[in-house]
Amino acid sequence: MVLGTYKEAISARSTDSKILDVSQDGGIVSALLCYALDEGILEGAVVAGTPDDDWRPIPTVVTSSDEVIAAAGTKYSMSPTLSALKEATRQYGLEKVGVVATPCQVQGLRKAKAYPMTRFVADKVKLIIGIYCMENFPMASLDTFATAKLGFDSLTDATKMDIGKGKFWLTKDGEDNGLAIKETHGYEQAGCNICMDYVAEWADVSTGSVGSPDGWSTVLTRTDDGDSIFKAAVDAGLIETKPMDEVKPGLGLLEKLAKGKKDKNGKERENRAKLGLPLPVEY
Amino acid sequence: MKDRVVISPTTRQEGHAELVMEVDDEGIVTKGMYFSITPVRGLEKMVLSKAPETAPVLCQRICGVCPIPHTLASAEAIDQALGIEIPKAARLLREATLAAHNINSAAIHHFLVAPDFVPDELFAAAVDSVSEVRKNVQYVVDMIAGEGIHPSDVRVGGMARNITPFAKERLIERMTALKPKLEAHIELIKNCVAESAEKMGMPEDLGVVNQPLLAVHPTYGVNEFDMDAFSEVLPEAWYDDPEVGKRGCSVIPLINGTNVETGPRARMEKFQGFKGKGVIAQHVARADEMMKNYEACMEALDAIDPAASARADYDPRGTGELGFGIIEGPRGTNAHMAKVEDGKTKFYSAIVPTTWNIPTMGPATEGFHHEFGPHVIRAYDPCLSCATHVMVVDDEDKSILKNEMVRI
Repeated sequence: MVLGTYKEAISARSTDSKILDVSQDGGIVSALLCYALDEGILEGAVVAGTPDDDWRPIPTVVTSSDEVIAAAGTKYSMSPTLSALKEATRQYGLEKVGVVATPCQVQGLRKAKAYPMTRFVADKVKLIIGIYCMENFPMASLDTFATAKLGFDSLTDATKMDIGKGKFWLTKDGEDNGLAIKETHGYEQAGCNICMDYVAEWADVSTGSVGSPDGWSTVLTRTDDGDSIFKAAVDAGLIETKPMDEVKPGLGLLEKLAKGKKDKNGKERENRAKLGLPLPVEY
Repeated sequence: MKDRVVISPTTRQEGHAELVMEVDDEGIVTKGMYFSITPVRGLEKMVLSKAPETAPVLCQRICGVCPIPHTLASAEAIDQALGIEIPKAARLLREATLAAHNINSAAIHHFLVAPDFVPDELFAAAVDSVSEVRKNVQYVVDMIAGEGIHPSDVRVGGMARNITPFAKERLIERMTALKPKLEAHIELIKNCVAESAEKMGMPEDLGVVNQPLLAVHPTYGVNEFDMDAFSEVLPEAWYDDPEVGKRGCSVIPLINGTNVETGPRARMEKFQGFKGKGVIAQHVARADEMMKNYEACMEALDAIDPAASARADYDPRGTGELGFGIIEGPRGTNAHMAKVEDGKTKFYSAIVPTTWNIPTMGPATEGFHHEFGPHVIRAYDPCLSCATHVMVVDDEDKSILKNEMVRI
């Protein structure tokens, strides 16, 4: 199971133009959070926001759909999102919290929920939305892509950032500038090279662009909680769906990339083991 | 004939101490000596030469029973040692935290003394009531200060962050719902104490002492301490019995050369016009004080402006002057003092609540049958868990070479 355990794989898109205007792909993360907040299923969520518009992700607690939409869109640098969970469950007074997390963060959060060490923190997390992630970049790497490799004056000149079709894209003055993915190799954080999880296998619901057409997202519902919230949002008309086998490129591509990450990083794990380096447990 | 009754360790209190009573032929105590048998707190030494922010983090670990007063006393001492005036919102957040904690700690004490006073048929209900009270007030501490035990968000300069309007509303809602339960709890405890004291023939004047009272604030604390009036003597110089003097582990703090009484009864008498002395009065005062702390907590919560800043910017280099954090904890006045120079803590000292009461508690047993001795001690709710048990271990094989300080 290269995609982990899941109940259903489906292609989906938000029906709300306010979300689609700002979302990375199908706006599924934003749509789910807005629905859960509006319906009182969640009281708040911890997400990666960019309050300063400088592409630096800042862990942010959101409690309304407006705040969700303000924080929408993928950030391609590391956000210590779980660090805001304490604040959310304390000074924000939230009892039902959602978290948007990368696969590694989902693993940490699941552990925190399984062990009795995070008193009144992890047990208040009611929904974990995982996002597909191949690797992540330090801010200095993003600066390098923008200035040294694409010739921008500054990373802040970029109005959109995306990875797709084998390239890392920065949009400036309405023009998309692509950098071949292999040009980014070596700039990712080192830990990403031994991570075996592409599709946030331990989330309640995972989502990302791969497998679906432009402007759509591929959703994997994994747990009863994730499945029921997703279905309820669909029933409420906030999300439209298409069966995976009717869309291109389809689930095969997602499986290929997930397996590719496991194969490549599995080899790197073997290399590091041979060198006697410590390795985190594989989940 | 003079006989000795020794209770070691005294039970249903936090930490370990010994009560030595000399008794006459009738079993009446002629001399009572209470002393701590747990040496080495050490934390005051650990914070030296470290950044001032280290002190509240380490010194709150003095105790897991009343960590909030230690955190606050430490933070307040460092605040003053750095010349910081904390924002109003921070002060209110701290006040609400302490008041909630003091309710919690009084409830813990009710659990400890329940076997003395609560009849079997009410025991389960009393324990449930303790749990219900604690759950709600600890929630307040959790939300404002980060953790109910060893709070992470009380910081030098104020608090890590203010609470949101949503959290404020939720806290007030929850505390409002607690009020009838707290009132019922206080009634239950007071009734149980009154009825069972009568049943067991507890003298009304049991444990009456006429020592000066130490209490600095009805529900919070101050940043001043009269060092001229304060002195300390070693246990060898205090206890008449040389053996006790040698084994006693805490120094004896005195105000104007005499030992004092601190704690809920002292506060209630000094600030709330409470009348009554001795064991029963101490239990009644502790129970009644829960409502005073409830009111203080609600007042502070109500006054908090969630939009205001809760932390001041500050210069960590230090004023070189002694800073005082004198906080009224559940068991009495908790005095922390610190001096910071060149960004490092140069001096740190903590005189924790029970330390003040130790020289007062032993003599309070005098004049009554020794069987009432433990009741007198427990009425003070002594807490000596701020000391460590020490043994000597072989470096190589970890075998125990010496373990003679405490035998439980």
